[in-house]
Amino acid sequence: MLIDQKGESKSALQIILEEAAGAGVEEFGIVVCPGDESTYASASGALRDRVRFVAQHNPRGYGHAVLCGREFIGGESFLHLVGDHLHVAHGAISCARQLISVAESEDTPVSAVQPTHEGLLTAYGTIGGRLVGGERPLYQIETVIEKPTPTVAEQQLLVPGLRAGYYLCFFGMHVLPPEIFELLDDQSKATGRSLGLSPALHALATRRRYLAFNVAGRRYDIGATYGLLFAQLALTLAGSDRDRILTQLVELLAIH
Amino acid sequence: MSFRITDIIESEAPETRDLSIERWCAGKPAAELLGACAELESYRRQQANLYRRVRALFFLAAIHRYHLPTRPEFRRTGRVPYDGFSRMLERRFEEAISGFLRAQAAQGANETLSSALAAAYHQLGFQTLADQVRHTVRATRGNAWMFRLGHPLDQPLRIRPELLRVGNSNGPHPILCECTPVRMDLTHCGWSDIFFLGMDFPEGARVLNVSIDLSVHGRDSGPRPPVEAYFRVIDEPVIRLASVDLEAIAEVRDLDDVFDFGRDYLGLLKASIIAAGLVPPGIERSGAKLAELLAITCGPGRGFELVSSVNRIPKGSRLAVSTTLLGALIGACMRATGQIRSLSGPMEEPERRMVAARAILGEWLGGSGGGWQDSGGLWPGIKLIEGVAAQPGDVEHGFSRGCLLPRHTLLGTDRVPEAARTRLQESLVLVHGGMAQNVGPILEMVTEKYLLRGEVEWTARHQAMANLERILGQLAAGEVRTLGHSLTANFFGPLQTIIPWVSNLYTERLIERTRTAFGDDFWGFWMLGGMSGGGMGFIFAPKRRREGQKRLQDIMAAAKRELETALPFAMDPVVYDFAINEHGSVGKLLAGADALLPAGFYQQSVPRCLRQEARNLTPRERGDLQQFTQAARGKPEYGAVLPTLLDRMLPSAVATQDAGRLNALLDENGFDRVQHEQIRADLRNGRIGLAMNRLAPSTKIDDVPAEALFNPGSASTAFRQRGEAALQAGEVAVVTYSAGVGSRWTQGAGVVKGLHPFAKFGGRHRSFIEVHLAKTRKAEHTAGMEIPHVFTTSYLTHAPIEHFLREAVGAALGRTVWVSPGRSIGLRLVPTVRDLHFAWQETAQQKLDEQKEKMRESVRAALTAWARQAGEGGDYMDNLPGQCLHPVGHWFEIPNLLKNGVLARLLAARPQLRTLLVHNIDTLGATVDSTMLGWFCASGATFGWEVMAKRVEDHGGGLARIDGRIRLVEGLALPREEDEFTLTYYNTNSCWVDIDRLLTQFGLRRTDLADAGKTAAAVRLLAARMPTYVTLKEVKRRWGHGQEDVYPVSQFEKLWGDMTTLIECDNVFAAVPRARGQQLKDQAQLDVWQRDGSAAYIESLGKWT
Repeated sequence: MLIDQKGESKSALQIILEEAAGAGVEEFGIVVCPGDESTYASASGALRDRVRFVAQHNPRGYGHAVLCGREFIGGESFLHLVGDHLHVAHGAISCARQLISVAESEDTPVSAVQPTHEGLLTAYGTIGGRLVGGERPLYQIETVIEKPTPTVAEQQLLVPGLRAGYYLCFFGMHVLPPEIFELLDDQSKATGRSLGLSPALHALATRRRYLAFNVAGRRYDIGATYGLLFAQLALTLAGSDRDRILTQLVELLAIH
Repeated sequence: MSFRITDIIESEAPETRDLSIERWCAGKPAAELLGACAELESYRRQQANLYRRVRALFFLAAIHRYHLPTRPEFRRTGRVPYDGFSRMLERRFEEAISGFLRAQAAQGANETLSSALAAAYHQLGFQTLADQVRHTVRATRGNAWMFRLGHPLDQPLRIRPELLRVGNSNGPHPILCECTPVRMDLTHCGWSDIFFLGMDFPEGARVLNVSIDLSVHGRDSGPRPPVEAYFRVIDEPVIRLASVDLEAIAEVRDLDDVFDFGRDYLGLLKASIIAAGLVPPGIERSGAKLAELLAITCGPGRGFELVSSVNRIPKGSRLAVSTTLLGALIGACMRATGQIRSLSGPMEEPERRMVAARAILGEWLGGSGGGWQDSGGLWPGIKLIEGVAAQPGDVEHGFSRGCLLPRHTLLGTDRVPEAARTRLQESLVLVHGGMAQNVGPILEMVTEKYLLRGEVEWTARHQAMANLERILGQLAAGEVRTLGHSLTANFFGPLQTIIPWVSNLYTERLIERTRTAFGDDFWGFWMLGGMSGGGMGFIFAPKRRREGQKRLQDIMAAAKRELETALPFAMDPVVYDFAINEHGSVGKLLAGADALLPAGFYQQSVPRCLRQEARNLTPRERGDLQQFTQAARGKPEYGAVLPTLLDRMLPSAVATQDAGRLNALLDENGFDRVQHEQIRADLRNGRIGLAMNRLAPSTKIDDVPAEALFNPGSASTAFRQRGEAALQAGEVAVVTYSAGVGSRWTQGAGVVKGLHPFAKFGGRHRSFIEVHLAKTRKAEHTAGMEIPHVFTTSYLTHAPIEHFLREAVGAALGRTVWVSPGRSIGLRLVPTVRDLHFAWQETAQQKLDEQKEKMRESVRAALTAWARQAGEGGDYMDNLPGQCLHPVGHWFEIPNLLKNGVLARLLAARPQLRTLLVHNIDTLGATVDSTMLGWFCASGATFGWEVMAKRVEDHGGGLARIDGRIRLVEGLALPREEDEFTLTYYNTNSCWVDIDRLLTQFGLRRTDLADAGKTAAAVRLLAARMPTYVTLKEVKRRWGHGQEDVYPVSQFEKLWGDMTTLIECDNVFAAVPRARGQQLKDQAQLDVWQRDGSAAYIESLGKWT
């Protein structure tokens, strides 16, 4: 459980769902292990009625989990979020809302990205591309590589305009077309091994215009060491209890 | 030429851009050349383009070194400002140049200053080129991140989970093995794989490169990829490194130790860890803990072990073994961290390129360097490697015309059919001739000649480029016979035209004898790599290849026996078996019972484990013992190690035998133990030492004006006539110092310098002694009278020189040619730390570039530790007996003539003898010149000394007025380093001696020479008045398969020039031209010596047979 920006105690899932709902999403499909539905249902809070659970019977990777949502999505574009990331926007407009607005205005699939230091590359999917101009930080994606080494990143994923040693890594938030399921399906047939999402996104970039958007916000990986702590701090410092927590932190710093 | 010198650099038209500097300078007076220098100096300071700047620098160096000194109106003498010289040593070349130019403005241009400017421009040129290569290596995509990483938490690399132990937690961690073939090059197209050439002249940078498996014929079971790198995770937070071939194991616990390349023999392994990003270069001196970094990459409490093996392929094979090993080690580390996608099988093309780029980085870090084709073994089979023009977007674009990394085009069976490959393998015999020489100077010469576009060399380079096309066609057609002819023509044609020093007497003797033995069935010779004498190829008719292997072994062994006292051999010659490798570098994952390191690793590690109590063994050691024991039962190569384990645990008897031989040698050569103990005591107590060599700081030191010296150029004909008369009367003999082993000439390899066949005269290689004999022959011919020639020897040189002279002059030995054996000997001592520090800190030293400087610091720390551990002032005995002894300085050479009876016999045979010309073995221009002889005879002096105008490279003292008296002074006796820079003249060590006055100086007469006791006492008495200098000399200690270490050792010496300190002795001095007085001290001088006309001058002095 976490305390959200309003000071209310909520599950991480509930915070994610509320962000999506606030961005205009009406229905939610959550891919879970068979048998975990009730646990997730109880963690969904007030939005429980708008959630449908999709069971992933064989754990064959991230891409396979997305592919499981094919029937639920049907022929529509959709917002895809990951369950272990929380997002805190820099301003009043949530990260999800920012991303959807770009997808609508550009009429194209868009993945949210965040400039990430090369020391963290092995935790994220990373894109290579170029700035497409305009006032917004939008990039044309040319390459997607999952968890690259910095050696590979430097050769294939340099994006002009970023600070040295920084790359555009996924934010855990995408607006994707239904076409992605075809690509995942093709790759699923081609490989018997674990199915990733990044190869399908790379294939998508070779097929059509596919953008990355540097969202005004930050992601917090709550699955990482201290990830939950940092996510809680970020939520609180962006919310109504900011002064109270800051005071406590200063006291802690003074003692230790 | 009507155009300006900078037009040559700027022009796009090849006929102008490729014009040689010689052509442009021809016929121009000194004033015009100085004007061109001013223009070039201004141009290079404003020019942003790297290669234009570098070319201007080399033009400047060439004009100052080769062209201005040949102009008759150019002033000969001047002074090099000490400040400028010290800046040059500190590698602050721009400041040095500014200082020299200021001095030039003040003194007027002169040859002395031009020598300093030439040296500074030359070094700045190479520094600029090297800086650019380093910059490009760092900036290459895929490398740059490693230089940004400064904290363990930023380390993004993780060891792949497949390398961690699975299942049974007591079982071994899997081992990743990288097996890599070495490369041979069919033609390097005139060393076009040097980075600088490839980056400036990509269209001319082409190499035909073949990956091969290798084994030593008669020793190994058959060819296999000779280079192996092993990587495994260990359950200790350390890095363990082991080299099977160097028999070295180290455990690195501290981050700074990873960057300490000179501490042990494992620098290459450390460089690979850094270049692979496991310990990124950016983290050096960050203060981070190695264990923290390892916890991130390998997991808490874990580390890794890296083991190398080159299957005992000897050093100097010219097959790029060290770069290949670096590539294999980097490859293993990159596979282990996911930077190469697959854990097993070959690499993909971008991955090979990245490993090759990292190998360049590793070579830079380790302070070594090779060509860009040296990683060729990463690629499979036969490939054409070519320079690539830099395009927009490349890091090189805008700086250089070409890219750092070349393009590799694999020549499949469609280009070189299977049958052609088979034919090549059926004809070619690869060998290692046994010589291991430093190829670095050759590469510098090639670069300089390319940038200067010497006409002959430039034509030869184009010939080599055309030869590559021809060779490629012949290879594709399977015409191995014509291929052999082309390769031979390449060696004797363009390669030797560009660099004559790639050949040597040994190589040419091998070729000649092989041709004699095999006639038309010997199809050709092939120089592998940068120079010959080490790795070489001989091509035979297939039906005789097997016989060729056997005969070559015998031919090489015999030639080595004949020449081993004259040329630096590091090992006995070997013949290889080889096969073309069609896979390139391949990875293998070894798990379970197969998780084994090479058998040689256990040969070293198991005895260490067995010496310990079982309870003290670490789990890793216990696991290694279990794995090895199991393997020894089932795998023959591991079982074969068992018998040697006991040998390694028991002490060897060899050391005792060597000590016995050394003592015998000392006794045979009249070693004075009492004097030795006194020297040791004085050294330990600080009464003698490097610092004590110096004169008192209050000594007044002044330069000597030209008027005080005899100038043979303006001498009257009377001197010449008097000299001619003396020659015709048989009054003169020549004495050549031949006791030395050329410490600088072969970096302490211990060969007889006088017998080194260093250059060709009269169409074949000749040694220093042969050159001196040829000059005497010519002088005899001119005078119509025999001139006795004495070669003084030492315990190190006597037997080889006597043997040589017996063969060369036959019955004349003992009649006109004499050998004067040494009668004094010293035993080298372990230096004191005080003297080591003095040599390294108090005397001016050439600062090296950043990485080499670090390497040197590290080596010095190790040598200091060695001196302490071995005992300061202790006898140096940990080497071959001959390397532990030392000659005691050339002061004893003339007294030895008195003591050993040679002078007495000479005078008995030729009572008319009055004068000796005494000179160093490497003063090739010293002759019994009639004008000089006439001058000396007329002077009435005891000694006539020859000095010459100093150049910046002339160190070691000179002619000075010391407290009012004109005398020669040794550099190590001058109170301050800068004193030497106030002197105009340098001592050539050539000296005319009046025999009777010399004897008087010793208190002897001619008749006394028959009395050995009286003569010895007279010598001892005068020796006591001569100063004793302590010096540090470098000696090589050879071990393993062609490996060498260099140690500084202390020895003492007395020097002949100090005879000028005797007040009762009359001395006269003459300023001779450089061509007469210059000495060849270092093989790197040879090229300059040939180009500046010195070689041609020496050729003109001799009568060649």
